[in-house]
Amino acid sequence: MLRLVSGLVSRRLTPVCVGGARAASHAHDVSPSVDMSKPMYWDRTDVPLPDKRFKDELSAGDKSLKEKEKGSWKHLSNDEKIALYRLSFHQTYAEMHRPSSEWKTVLGGVFIFLGFTGLVVIWQNIYVYPPRPHTFEPEWQQKQLQRMLDMRINPVEGFAAKWDYEKGQWK
Amino acid sequence: MAHPSQLGFQDAASPVMEELLHFHDHALMIVFLISTLVLYIIVAMVTTKLTNMFLLDSQEIEIIWTILPAIILILIALPSLRILYLMDEINNPHLTVKAIGHQWYWSYEYTDYQEIAFDSYMVPTQDLAPGQFRLLEVDHRMVVPTEAPVRVLVTAEDVLHSWAVPSLGVKMDAVPGRLNQTAFIASRPGVFYGQCSEICGAKHSFMPIVVEAVPLKYFQDWSTLMLEDA
Repeated sequence: MLRLVSGLVSRRLTPVCVGGARAASHAHDVSPSVDMSKPMYWDRTDVPLPDKRFKDELSAGDKSLKEKEKGSWKHLSNDEKIALYRLSFHQTYAEMHRPSSEWKTVLGGVFIFLGFTGLVVIWQNIYVYPPRPHTFEPEWQQKQLQRMLDMRINPVEGFAAKWDYEKGQWK
Repeated sequence: MAHPSQLGFQDAASPVMEELLHFHDHALMIVFLISTLVLYIIVAMVTTKLTNMFLLDSQEIEIIWTILPAIILILIALPSLRILYLMDEINNPHLTVKAIGHQWYWSYEYTDYQEIAFDSYMVPTQDLAPGQFRLLEVDHRMVVPTEAPVRVLVTAEDVLHSWAVPSLGVKMDAVPGRLNQTAFIASRPGVFYGQCSEICGAKHSFMPIVVEAVPLKYFQDWSTLMLEDA
């Protein structure tokens, strides 16, 4: 299972340049080359258990803690358990899932573009569009609506259907 | 005609249009159901904290999401084909009208008994009487009797046009050198508006179609009047 996992991971994370020895010849690399043939550490929720523990060099205190871990875990205090976790892992799930302020940037950018579009629309209305036809004036619109009612436009469900002809008002 | 802030179709003025309305309701309901389901799945996938990278195959769900869409498509296709064949049924028209598209007006000919022929130009905006509809009114409407199957032979004199009246559920391309036949029954009296539906030059948007459906007696009076005027 672990081999399957690491096999999948190494296939997915195809490196730009493999092998530290070749790093010097690829000085134009965008990112520093990472040797993926050795065990790596990562913080990911979808592949939770990395190849190796986080802390490589263990101090004397760390080593004795690791020995204590081999016994019953009931003898470990909370702080010790946390220290053991921090030896093996860099971030907690809570830290991995911490919120960022990216949404503010995105929303701000969206509003800026919307605002700019609004300015363009206003400019258009003033400098580009011809004058409105006279049929948009309120008196004409009123006469038009009355004519539509008289002609029984859309009398089933649409327009005239919503007018109460007996009471002379909208239903 | 359309009314302000209208979202759906105009009310049907012919049986075929009624059928089309019901079919559209049916198909749209299916579309809404599928879209809601997909939207829900997307939101669920994006907001979950669970991850599983190692799902390799699953025969059961693959079968379901192959068979179910096929069934849904059949449920859409059957009513659709029904209407398609319904529109082509022999309808023994009582009246034949020829609608001929020109740049940029329609002309109508009623030649069953005697010759009635006239042009139908849009009323320009500055010439509208108060309350008339801009870009929709014409000087001479195409008058037909209600409850009578009407055959319309559509053609064009110059370029492509298209004779369309949405509330009657009718649209037929006007092709020069070709006679296209369509038919409708106006189930209720009224005035039904449409617009040219094939780009035909500068005033393509300014050659509307107006069909006035009146009881037979009034149609007879109208045709008598038209013959006297000619």
